[in-house]
Amino acid sequence: MAEAPIYDGGMVSRLRRLAPALAAVVVLSPLLRAPHSDTYPLSTYPMFTANRGSIHDFVTVVGIDDTGVVVRLSPKLIAGTDEVVLASVTVERAVARGRAEGLCEAVAARTASPITEVVVRSETVDLVAHIVDGAPALAVVEHARCSVTP
Amino acid sequence: MQRDAMIKRLAALRILMFAYAAIWSAVRAPHLLDTTDLDPIRFDPVGPLWFLTAPLPDGLVLLLVLLTPAAAALAAVGWHYRASAPVAAFAFLMITTYRNSWGQLFHTENLASLQLIVLAIATVAGSQWSMDARRGSTRSQTSGDDGSWAVNSMAVLAVGTYFLAGVAKFRISGWDWVSGDTLLHQVLFDNVRKELLGDPSSPLAAWFVGQTWLMAPAAVASMILELGAPVALLHRRAGQLWALAAVGFHIGVLALMYIMFPYHLLALGVAPLLPVENLAPRLARTAVGRAWVRRSAAC
Repeated sequence: MAEAPIYDGGMVSRLRRLAPALAAVVVLSPLLRAPHSDTYPLSTYPMFTANRGSIHDFVTVVGIDDTGVVVRLSPKLIAGTDEVVLASVTVERAVARGRAEGLCEAVAARTASPITEVVVRSETVDLVAHIVDGAPALAVVEHARCSVTP
Repeated sequence: MQRDAMIKRLAALRILMFAYAAIWSAVRAPHLLDTTDLDPIRFDPVGPLWFLTAPLPDGLVLLLVLLTPAAAALAAVGWHYRASAPVAAFAFLMITTYRNSWGQLFHTENLASLQLIVLAIATVAGSQWSMDARRGSTRSQTSGDDGSWAVNSMAVLAVGTYFLAGVAKFRISGWDWVSGDTLLHQVLFDNVRKELLGDPSSPLAAWFVGQTWLMAPAAVASMILELGAPVALLHRRAGQLWALAAVGFHIGVLALMYIMFPYHLLALGVAPLLPVENLAPRLARTAVGRAWVRRSAAC
């Protein structure tokens, strides 16, 4: 058997008018914050907004295999996550806070043969040249290097 | 739109959006559980969890990870909807907020979180195509509530989200954004970062660099889509066209940047603007649908 109505007619009528207006106020409320003052779920959506330029520094963690070749490590090995953006932030913050050695050791502990060494480093990259021609980094600065225990 | 069609649209949105929440939270469960192994120094709570001073206990994270898909699945099928929907919406908001509380804000589940809250409040969403309806225990069926306020509110949330993204581009980069330079560098930056951090990048990125004529039109088109979003609320047909354009926009983002917004790609965010109430009759005409109807009738 059907139960009693939750709303009377007047309330439904008010809901029809007010609910979409309230939704608009809520979703547009981030306009009151600075554009980079982001949060969740009421975001200012600052991603993809600023011009990053064509030359950029990336802080990365790479492996060196037993033949000396640089091997790109996965976000899972680098930061224990499959989210590449989270891995990137993890490495940037570790270097900024002077914790590159600790990060290096943590990544090395997750890494196995044929990787023999792990290096935390900054790479200055020409974005266009890298994407079009696979050009190597313009400059590389090493922050930490550690051995992988077999 | 007639009352019956509106209630059916809301019911279809309930099924689609809560099913998405159930599947997303089940598929992402391993990643969500990864947070229990992250260094607590990385914890940076945001939004509804701003007050936390330390990561949640592992057991509570596990409970939320298990609860979310279960409650969302129950809400999708409309089983004790007045209880299952608020639990599912709350749990989804909590796990996505927690996921965003480790130093990096993602922007893929914001709209889903907000629309699920509206669905949870709209109890009439459980009055059609639901387990509750089969049991005859849906009190909203007898009220004057056709759920239009909920459908319209979810449409406003979708439109507002895109509008905000467009406004952010103007607030941060001004008119420079429409030159296409910013877009090009964003596409390249994201792909290079993926390559350097061992993630697959888009094979179309190199092609995109060569299409210099395309940069400015692509930037202008995305700006029109975002800032012009409110037009979608003015007319039914405009809403449908804008919704399709929004899905096309996300296909472009996926192709050029390998960034997937699954909720948006599946047109779920813009679904309140689409005649999704027609999906169920179409599904019912398929072989699987006919079998389901026969089985339901036999029960």
